[in-house]
Amino acid sequence: MGDEQDKLLPVANVGRIMKRVLPPNAKISKEAKETIQECASEFISFVTGEASDKCQKENRKTVNGDDICWALGSLGFDDYSQAIARYLHKHREFERERASAKIAASNQNNIVHESNG
Amino acid sequence: MRQAKTHSGILSGGGISKRYGPHLLPLARIKKIMKKSSVDVKMISGEAPLVFSKACELFIEELTKRSWNMTIQGKRRIIHKEDVACAVANTDIFDFLVELVHPNASSHVDLNEGPSKETTQG
Repeated sequence: MGDEQDKLLPVANVGRIMKRVLPPNAKISKEAKETIQECASEFISFVTGEASDKCQKENRKTVNGDDICWALGSLGFDDYSQAIARYLHKHREFERERASAKIAASNQNNIVHESNG
Repeated sequence: MRQAKTHSGILSGGGISKRYGPHLLPLARIKKIMKKSSVDVKMISGEAPLVFSKACELFIEELTKRSWNMTIQGKRRIIHKEDVACAVANTDIFDFLVELVHPNASSHVDLNEGPSKETTQG
């Protein structure tokens, strides 16, 4: 039973995302929620397969964010691809800023330690 | 804990859409699903599950909205599995889901009676 659930995104999380785009009076049957839960897993597998094929052709072992972005566009999810490209760009910017902040903080610490002798 | 607050402080001022910090979908689970998709998937970069968490949000939102359109066309307020199946049948890019939502269907089953409503995707 646990193994089956491993192949799916948690239904509670899926339900929360669904509710965001529905009016307050809308209701979702349990079956519909589970169907969309399964569709989401299928979506991940479908896109991953496409991205993985690209990596194989290019003799790369690691599927990265750009590959997912490309695969989305290749499979017709152009809007998602554009949104993801922006998201990825911001994520990488954030990671760079975080890395610089860490380096700056550790340099600061070093200065303090040195002055404390 | 303090660090997390600092990060969300930075991020909320950064103009990034939606909450960046807490993801709506668990990244470890996404990674598991990715690995199970094919034996060819060997290594997955750290950002790939993150990218998918966003992509899945968009996917779930779109499929939900389209399913809801089917529901209200039937003058109902509860989304049923059949509404999801109709939404899938009406959307070209969701072709890969046809077998999943309608296991007995052959490849091109017209689930719409009467004049077909062309749903332009994107």
